[in-house]
Amino acid sequence: MPLEILLVLVVGGIGGIALLLHLSGRSELLVMSREEARAAWLRHVPGDDILDVTVSHTGHAALVQTNEGPGLIWAFGADTVARHLVDFDLLDLEEGLAVVFHDYSAPRVHLQLTEAERQRWRELMRP
Amino acid sequence: MKDNLIYPDVVQWAVPFFIAAILIEFAWIALKNRGGRYETRDAITSLIMGAGNVASGILLGFIAWGFFMFLWELTPLDLGASVWVVVLCFVLDDLRYYWVHRFGHRIRWVWASHVNHHSSQHYNLTTALRQTWTGTFTFMMIVRAPLILLGFHPAMVLFAGGLNLIYQFWIHTEAIGKMPRWFEAVMNTPSHHRAHHGRNARYLDCNYAGVFIIWDKMFGTFVAEQDHDRVDYGLVHNLGTFNPIRVAFHEWVGIWQDVTQPGLTLRQRLAYAFAPPGYSHDGSRATSEMIKADFVAQHPEETGTPGLASRNLQAKGDRVYQFDAGPS
Ligand SMILES: [Zn+2]
Ligand SMILES: [Zn+2]
Repeated sequence: MPLEILLVLVVGGIGGIALLLHLSGRSELLVMSREEARAAWLRHVPGDDILDVTVSHTGHAALVQTNEGPGLIWAFGADTVARHLVDFDLLDLEEGLAVVFHDYSAPRVHLQLTEAERQRWRELMRP
Repeated sequence: MKDNLIYPDVVQWAVPFFIAAILIEFAWIALKNRGGRYETRDAITSLIMGAGNVASGILLGFIAWGFFMFLWELTPLDLGASVWVVVLCFVLDDLRYYWVHRFGHRIRWVWASHVNHHSSQHYNLTTALRQTWTGTFTFMMIVRAPLILLGFHPAMVLFAGGLNLIYQFWIHTEAIGKMPRWFEAVMNTPSHHRAHHGRNARYLDCNYAGVFIIWDKMFGTFVAEQDHDRVDYGLVHNLGTFNPIRVAFHEWVGIWQDVTQPGLTLRQRLAYAFAPPGYSHDGSRATSEMIKADFVAQHPEETGTPGLASRNLQAKGDRVYQFDAGPS
């Protein structure tokens, strides 16, 4: 196949499908309840005992206290990703916190938090 | 010798069909409100990985091609290009695919390339196109050497491989439940391949087939999709990024970081590159055998059910992988 036609097909195809998905509401970020965050954590890390779960006011992220230490679970598109909170940095943002993991496969999470939440989460995230 | 044997590049010609089928699947899901899920960024990442795979084939394809033509000069055998030879080539190349795919899950060096096909938590037709950019660096073209030495022309072997890839496109869907019984018995199907994409303990390291599921039944890796154990798609440690560069290279970065850490023996460094995924020198990670053993320990009633037979398990007390246990 001529390269120009292949290029047009690929760029047009990806762009068109992206637009279709976005306009039909497929970009919405997952919202979790406390119970859902708990179940999602156990889906990712089945061996953990969960001691406590704190969901952010947006429902897009939750702090999980486990027997293995604190962990963060966050909305990743329509799904979730979970990481134990070891080897990370926190940055204050206007709308909350940025968690910078030293992990090539999950580099950075932006948390939308109220001012009160930010204080409390900083406390809870200490290992 | 037919050095000028030419076949169409079928994967490129299939691109319009891929796009049309994705639109049809999406419309079906939207209308029926079942049969799968789509998410914008997940789908874009999958499609970009697919485009990058084609691009890496155009850029790096000459390496495998040069190797194959070298073998073709070497071999005195030439099976010609009759229809039956092409059919035989397709079947044998599917056996080749089974083993490359099995190595892809059991040797971390090869997994580093294949992992990205499994890196989505979704399972739809875009997932089929989430293909590696780094296949050339796994050197798995070696597994094709016997075919060419037997007298199958390299162009025919690549043609068979392209058809194989196209066959596997349609099975990446939740919109199809089960195919007719005879078909499920012989062919790879959406049901069998859903199980292959599962991160559930039961489904780890099963159903490596490309086109014919019989290879898994022959070599003992077949696990049927279970009604009571819904497939949870993705990786044991799911990615927290949609960035295609990170998706393509994250496991290579992981290998580099593990191999170069201070204080390891040479054997341990080699194991980080070539032992099964999940190997660790200190038992801090879990291989699929350990994950299965943990699951059975928590769910004893599942012992001996598909994918959880005792030969699939590694005892919990035996955390340090066998690779370390030899004479040092
Ligand atoms: Zn696979
Ligand atoms: Zn697949």
